[in-house]
Amino acid sequence: MKFFSGPPDIRKVFNCQITKSFFKQDASGPKGLFALPFLNWFGIDPEFNHWEIQWSLPEYAWIGPLVAVLVLVSVWFFWTSLSRIGSLNKRLVLMTIRAMALMLMLALLLHPQLELKKSRELKNSVAVLLDNSKSLSIKSAETGGTRISQVQKALQENTAFFEQVKEKFQLDTYFVSDHVQSVELQEGNPSYKAEAERTNFTKVLREVQKRYEGKSLKGVLLFSDGADLGQPDEGISVELLETLTHFEVPIHTFQAGSNEGFKDLGIESLQKGDFGFVHQPVRIKVSLIAHAMGSKQISLILKEGDTVLVSKILKISPDKTRYPVELEFTPHKTGKRLYSLSVPLFAGEAIDVNNSKDFQINVIRDRIRVLHLSGRPSWDSRFLREVLIKNPKVDLLSFFILRTLSDDVAAPTAELSLIPFPSNLLFSEYLSSFDLVIFQNFQFAPFIDKKYLLNIKEFVQNGGAFIMVGGELSFQGGGYKNTPVEDLLPVRFESASKSLLEDEFHPALNKRYKYHPILQLEKDSKTNKSAWTTLPPLNGMNLGLIPESNAHVLATFPKQGEPTLYPLLVAGQKGIGRTLLVATDTLWNWNFRSVGKGGSGRYFQKLWKNIIAWVTRDPETHFIQIETDKEKYRVDDKPLVKYRIRREDYNPDPQKALKLVLASLTSKRILQTHKLVTDDRGEGSFRFRSLPEGFYTIRLEDQEPDSKLLREIGFGVFSDHFEFQKPLVNGSLLKKMASKTGGTYHLLGDNVNLDSIKIPNEAVFFESKSKTFALWDNWWSFGMIVFLLSADWWLRRRAGLS
Amino acid sequence: MNETFNPITWLTRSRWCLFGAVFLVASLWVPTVAWSMGEYSRMIIPQIRYKGGNYKPRPHAIESLLGQTAKRTSVEVKREARDMDLSDPDLFLYPFIYLAGDSAFPPFPDADLKILRNYLNYGGLLLIDDNSAKANSEFDDSVRKLVGNLFPNIPMQRISKEHSLFRSFYLIHQIGGRANIKPYLDGITIKGRTVLIYSSNDLGGAWSRSKLGHWNYDILAGGRFQRKMAVRLGINIVMYALTLDYKKDMVHLPIILERLRRSNLR
Repeated sequence: MKFFSGPPDIRKVFNCQITKSFFKQDASGPKGLFALPFLNWFGIDPEFNHWEIQWSLPEYAWIGPLVAVLVLVSVWFFWTSLSRIGSLNKRLVLMTIRAMALMLMLALLLHPQLELKKSRELKNSVAVLLDNSKSLSIKSAETGGTRISQVQKALQENTAFFEQVKEKFQLDTYFVSDHVQSVELQEGNPSYKAEAERTNFTKVLREVQKRYEGKSLKGVLLFSDGADLGQPDEGISVELLETLTHFEVPIHTFQAGSNEGFKDLGIESLQKGDFGFVHQPVRIKVSLIAHAMGSKQISLILKEGDTVLVSKILKISPDKTRYPVELEFTPHKTGKRLYSLSVPLFAGEAIDVNNSKDFQINVIRDRIRVLHLSGRPSWDSRFLREVLIKNPKVDLLSFFILRTLSDDVAAPTAELSLIPFPSNLLFSEYLSSFDLVIFQNFQFAPFIDKKYLLNIKEFVQNGGAFIMVGGELSFQGGGYKNTPVEDLLPVRFESASKSLLEDEFHPALNKRYKYHPILQLEKDSKTNKSAWTTLPPLNGMNLGLIPESNAHVLATFPKQGEPTLYPLLVAGQKGIGRTLLVATDTLWNWNFRSVGKGGSGRYFQKLWKNIIAWVTRDPETHFIQIETDKEKYRVDDKPLVKYRIRREDYNPDPQKALKLVLASLTSKRILQTHKLVTDDRGEGSFRFRSLPEGFYTIRLEDQEPDSKLLREIGFGVFSDHFEFQKPLVNGSLLKKMASKTGGTYHLLGDNVNLDSIKIPNEAVFFESKSKTFALWDNWWSFGMIVFLLSADWWLRRRAGLS
Repeated sequence: MNETFNPITWLTRSRWCLFGAVFLVASLWVPTVAWSMGEYSRMIIPQIRYKGGNYKPRPHAIESLLGQTAKRTSVEVKREARDMDLSDPDLFLYPFIYLAGDSAFPPFPDADLKILRNYLNYGGLLLIDDNSAKANSEFDDSVRKLVGNLFPNIPMQRISKEHSLFRSFYLIHQIGGRANIKPYLDGITIKGRTVLIYSSNDLGGAWSRSKLGHWNYDILAGGRFQRKMAVRLGINIVMYALTLDYKKDMVHLPIILERLRRSNLR
């Protein structure tokens, strides 16, 4: 830990500090050697209170002995060369001058520098860390008081100790959990409550370390129960260990609470996916903990609202603490489903909040099962199949009629890969297991018995989806006139005499349905319009199709000179199912041909994605959309609800008066009602204030007298009970934290005396300013050498030497 | 005269002849019902025209293959030869193209390579056929250079016997053409779809028939059986272009695997 900051040492390795001397003085003014007026003469700030001379020593070890030898040789030479001078005094004077000159020259070779520094003494700090996580609210079986009350008591009883510390040190107090919050240490601090949602000592210590960079922290006092869920059960995590190793300041730990007599039965953890599929089993993994619960049988109950989904009996024994359990249930409705898992609450339990756990699963529909029948392999069927098989939401079963009865394959069946078409199975037993049936250029005879066409009609009326894609074997060409399939489709068939058209054309979109989900190739309406114009032309279409009055005619071919618009893309509803027809087998032009024109097959894929979503009644294609901005909320969140109202032709419903009703899912009580109006785009939003923990429903109703329900969604507000997953006190962790940092461990009991805590308090200085002067690179030093050598010469002359 | 109408006696030979003539004329007059919408919905396999070399040594190969395809399968074809440059703006109307030759040809220009790369990456299929019937031919050398330039990072590899190509219509165990140079096909597969198939065995030579139905070229090694297999392979390639890995769907697997097992036992 680095407590001092100053200018970085720019000298090389071979630099050496000869002198280091402090003139202790406070920041008020200089009282030392340099508080002399001559500093001002050199333009130096007289505030400097510390000086230092630095030398540049050569890095080679042999330089020192060599210099020593040179000095000795020089001295011997000086002495012998002066031996002719009779006067001892003169010899001594000359010898002194020469020695001074030699020393000065040697000194200059070492490049001496004077560094002036300004330093001030720091007051050492002590940090008191008070754990305020929720686990501190757990009651101790011995005392009956909570863990936090033990800490408060200890602080109260040791007020004198803290006063003493305050006199000598900078005393800082913090609430710590998974973050650090600076507070005032005062008796009965009302803000000290066990309310933080989790403990993370690694994060806390790193934050403390950061706060005291450049300061002198001498000790840390940590009051906690040690319940950090990030730590392994018996040990210490690598991250915390590493943090403690680099902490360099003793941490004195004070354990609040104990595990003596601790009694609890609870749900320690629950593992589940955020998503589940409707009608498919959802599996959840639960871990129960039981401390001092004796031997008994308990029931684990999973509920949705008031309905019990799963109930499991579990045998608890005194020799086992953890009980892993797996539960499985099958949701039958889509949307955000809210579930509650609970175990019974027994008398004397330390915690009650972990006896039940609420959770939410977004139940979505299973993959869309598509039965795709193609009357003959073609480019249109190939590119459609490619789109279907690449769609991750689709489970595809496709059949191509690869040969007809008139084809001569010139091989026995054993040499063919062809399989018999299982029409009986598909259209009687398995039909209901599909979500969508596609007939693409497919003539039902002789592959499907006509009686099965009625099954397809019933399939759609009961909610299935049906698409017929054009070609010569579709509509009238496939013999569907006067069959249940004709009833299904949103068109009537004319006579078959003019069934096909081979013109090249660009389809025209029906402006009335410009907001229809099928036609949305792009999100933005302007870009969408332009996207349709970039598509290559189609090359032909089925004729003789007359749309029904309630059909959504989305696209047509307005043939020049003819009054009729030939329907190309028509959507409709039969019973609760949806149907659609595409009156061409050249839609693949919008894929591969588009690539040739410099585009891509993106719009072809998007169009089919939209078609599948619409016919299978994907929630995204609903006329009324309501959604919350988050999957689930915390208690301090403010849930935002967005809604969008469309008419039956998908045009926005502006200025629509609505009622938004918030109700509790469990009590069914209406909590709030708000009157709202849609904007010009038929949209709007509403933000609720923070809501307490629980499950809620939001109902969107119209403001008619009978308040017709338009749409309802649910959401949950969850309080984090993370802290109670492992409610036991972790004294061993506190002991390890103390021992790793050189601190001491203490158990908070009836009488806690902190006087035994010893905190070092040596003086430290903080260097705030420095300035360096070269002592060799100036006229003074060189002038002195010249002067000494001149004096030597003059004296020798006077003594009669040359 | 009060006679009852008897259709058997009424249909005399002369009346039959008269009806026959009327039906024939009528059938000529009645406009033929379009069999599909525009020719692009039917299977047409353009042959790629390139500079240098001999781009069409088997002029009737594709017509013959399409004829067999129409006869044996439900696929609607347009039985005509269509030669096309890669730079032809109509190239993308035909997702399956054929490139053949029997001699060396110069590297394709970069612009053509770019078009072909785009074509194959976004859904097209290219069948390359070495009609030279020689191992390590000059054409083979040119093709490998072409493919190297086309997909520098994807090496051409032997197509596995488990590939859908060999079960898209017929169950194929033996691979050959007019010649039997390599008992396998090479190819390039991108994102699970084989975009390029290369045969060294002169498939076109085995397919080619004259308008009178005679085979144009003799089979070099395996005789009639080899030609039969080459035609079947051609039809499977057409089916693969149109259905891709359809035959690998789970519903087909048990039956196909059982047939393969029995075939192996034989």
